[in-house]
Amino acid sequence: MSFAKYLGIRIFNALLVLIFVTFVVSILFVKVAEDDAKTRIAEIINNEARNPSLIRLKANDPEAFEKWKRNRMEQLKREFELDKTFWERVISKTKNTLLLDFGNARSPVFGEIKVSKIIEKAIPRTVLLFTTAQIIITFIGLILGIKAAQKAGKAVDKLLSVLAMLTASLPMWWVGMVFILIFAFQLGLFPASSLPDPNLEGFAYYRDLIWRMLLPLATVVFVSFGGWAYTTRNIMITTMHEDFITVARAKGVPENRVIYGHALRAASPPIVTNVIIGLLGSLGGAIITEAVFNWPGMGRLYWVALQQSEVNLLMGVTYVTVALFLASMIIADVIYGYLDPRVRVGR
Amino acid sequence: MRLEDLKESAKDFLHEFRYQKGGIIGFVLLVILVSVAVFAPYITSPDVPERWSKEFWVENPQNAPPTWINYFSSEKLAPHEVYTIEDMQVEDMGGGRKIIKIVYMNSYDSPPKDIVLKGFETTASDVRQKPKMTIILKRPDGNEIVLMKDRRISSNTVIQIATNTEVKNNVFNWAKTTSGVQLNPVEEIKLQALMDTMKILFGKVDKKIFESPVPLLGEYVFEIQITSSDDDTINLSNFTAVFSGRTYGLMGTDSKGRDIWAGLIWGTRVSLSVGIAVAVLSVLIGVVYGVASAYFGGWRDELLQRFNEFMFSLPVLPILILLGAYFKGHVDLVQIVLLLVLFGWVGVAKVARSMALQIKEQTFVEAARALGAGSGRIVFKHIMPQIMPYAFSQMALSVPYAVMTEAALSFLGLGDPTAVTWGQMLYDAQNAGATINGYWWWVIPPGLAIALVGLSFVLLGVALDRILNPRMRTL
Repeated sequence: MSFAKYLGIRIFNALLVLIFVTFVVSILFVKVAEDDAKTRIAEIINNEARNPSLIRLKANDPEAFEKWKRNRMEQLKREFELDKTFWERVISKTKNTLLLDFGNARSPVFGEIKVSKIIEKAIPRTVLLFTTAQIIITFIGLILGIKAAQKAGKAVDKLLSVLAMLTASLPMWWVGMVFILIFAFQLGLFPASSLPDPNLEGFAYYRDLIWRMLLPLATVVFVSFGGWAYTTRNIMITTMHEDFITVARAKGVPENRVIYGHALRAASPPIVTNVIIGLLGSLGGAIITEAVFNWPGMGRLYWVALQQSEVNLLMGVTYVTVALFLASMIIADVIYGYLDPRVRVGR
Repeated sequence: MRLEDLKESAKDFLHEFRYQKGGIIGFVLLVILVSVAVFAPYITSPDVPERWSKEFWVENPQNAPPTWINYFSSEKLAPHEVYTIEDMQVEDMGGGRKIIKIVYMNSYDSPPKDIVLKGFETTASDVRQKPKMTIILKRPDGNEIVLMKDRRISSNTVIQIATNTEVKNNVFNWAKTTSGVQLNPVEEIKLQALMDTMKILFGKVDKKIFESPVPLLGEYVFEIQITSSDDDTINLSNFTAVFSGRTYGLMGTDSKGRDIWAGLIWGTRVSLSVGIAVAVLSVLIGVVYGVASAYFGGWRDELLQRFNEFMFSLPVLPILILLGAYFKGHVDLVQIVLLLVLFGWVGVAKVARSMALQIKEQTFVEAARALGAGSGRIVFKHIMPQIMPYAFSQMALSVPYAVMTEAALSFLGLGDPTAVTWGQMLYDAQNAGATINGYWWWVIPPGLAIALVGLSFVLLGVALDRILNPRMRTL
């Protein structure tokens, strides 16, 4: 099986999963939206009935008022698509969602009302925060992990294992809350809210953005680097036990070249995959961490959608997150295949 | 497996476990956590879960830090204290007159926020028959203030000294005359509205009594005189005086006045039971799924593996959030467990399958089959016992994941609103702006508790893994 064919099958599989998930989620969504729409129709009619001319109509000719009410109800039902059958709505919702048409939010978020526009604004911010964090974590993790692997069983190594275990048991979002408490409230070094100031422009805007990004960034790095370093250490130790390393040492290759040239190159496929999987994992933890910091990304959108029961927005962010997740899995596969040619053939 | 074998392997296991320092620490932590969960009704009071989500905490101070901060700060804050009738001196003067004395030792820079008197029980039905109450405060400097005079009381009377209008007027007038401060009328109205009655009551009489009262330390006596028309018309056995503190208990209170210590203790129950239930269920399902897939093989294996891959390719939290939102934020604990199990078994099933595939091909399985053993016997007698060690360590390692995900869902407001959980406490803290207001006693303990549960199971799981899967020990 050629690599292109393999990739094609992977993408096809991912699309199938995406369509199926969207379909199932649409069923849930339509059920929720139905109750939602019913209460809103009642609200709209009640509001309109307060109109003085309608109050007069109600007093003079109750029958005509009832007729107006029925007509208006029918009209609104059509507007909210309640006149269609359940499955028709599910199918159309699935289709619209797959084509990135999520409808409108009830009240504007980030100054936009269209859900797809809101998400368009949020994604780059999430990517900015977590990609930066992942790069820092990868570097710190590599340096610490290689050090620990070199001195396996010594104090540095043991300290790293303990650190990894401790930080792995901390919920990232809670660490965020504690960081706000310490650095924003107690020491006053950073702002508690990471929402950038929209009035600034140019250089000042970017400086403000970076300043506000530091605290969430520090949180993500603090929680993740220990576990990541531990993973790197384990991968490195396995590689260091292989024969070609012994051969390299035996023929007198300098130790640094052995580690960075031979061992790291051989260990890179699992390390790279783990970096990508780490990024995927952070998408999950990120949802709440962003909410804690008011960082205006995807996680914040989840929080807003849940707090204000914005059903369309929730559907939109879930769909986009699932799609991104599936896409990153494929990218991880492609990179693995590039770095380790063995996996390209069959599996 | 015979009973002797089981005994033997248990002995071996215990012998090896003694050399796992981390495992022992994890085990000790777990024992502590479990006993906290079991004895929660005795450590705090048994009605906490019932009262938690309801507004029964009015008598507690709001957002009060824990009492022990007094050891670390130069400014001593009055703790929360409740005086029952046993703590007071009651004198019966005869003729329906009773005098209750409450002795309060003030050694704090910041006096109590409020004093709440309640629990009068009168049988008088006629308004004119209702008992009268007069409250006099005797201060350590010899001054006496009449806080309240001849107030008619009934069974539902609750007197809040700090906000009561009569008391406020009396205290203001007393402070004005004794200190001799000259005030113009505009200032007077403003001061009267803004003054902190308690700080003046417990403050030194000087020119600054209105602006910045200096605390007067010493013994304060509240004398409550109750005159009733008849001896039987008042029953004071439930009478209490609550000195609402600036600090409260071991862990302080939240914005509704709830005792955070009680929440922490009771939260252990939910956290442990959800965590353990999810871990055991999902690992068992995963093992059975994986073994079945490997044992049956062929198209069944293919089908089960496709489904497994499908589940594996879903991001867990977003889907859980959506499902939680579908239940409209009223997900009870059983539903949470089921939701977490729904995604928890996937990874275990993969590993169990690959382990079972190896075991299945070994000669002793072949021998068993040649001897005529059925599928059930091979799976449960030969394959399962070999996978169980892995399953046990996985159970321990899955608990932190379950506990954290449960907390995360609760934090998003998708938990069980009637249960006392740590995630719920942090959700309330976030909504009340606890971080930006510096209520550290509300933010730090629940998270540490989550981390503690996680840590004890990680330690235990790693130790089990090392003992039960010796292949991993080289790493």
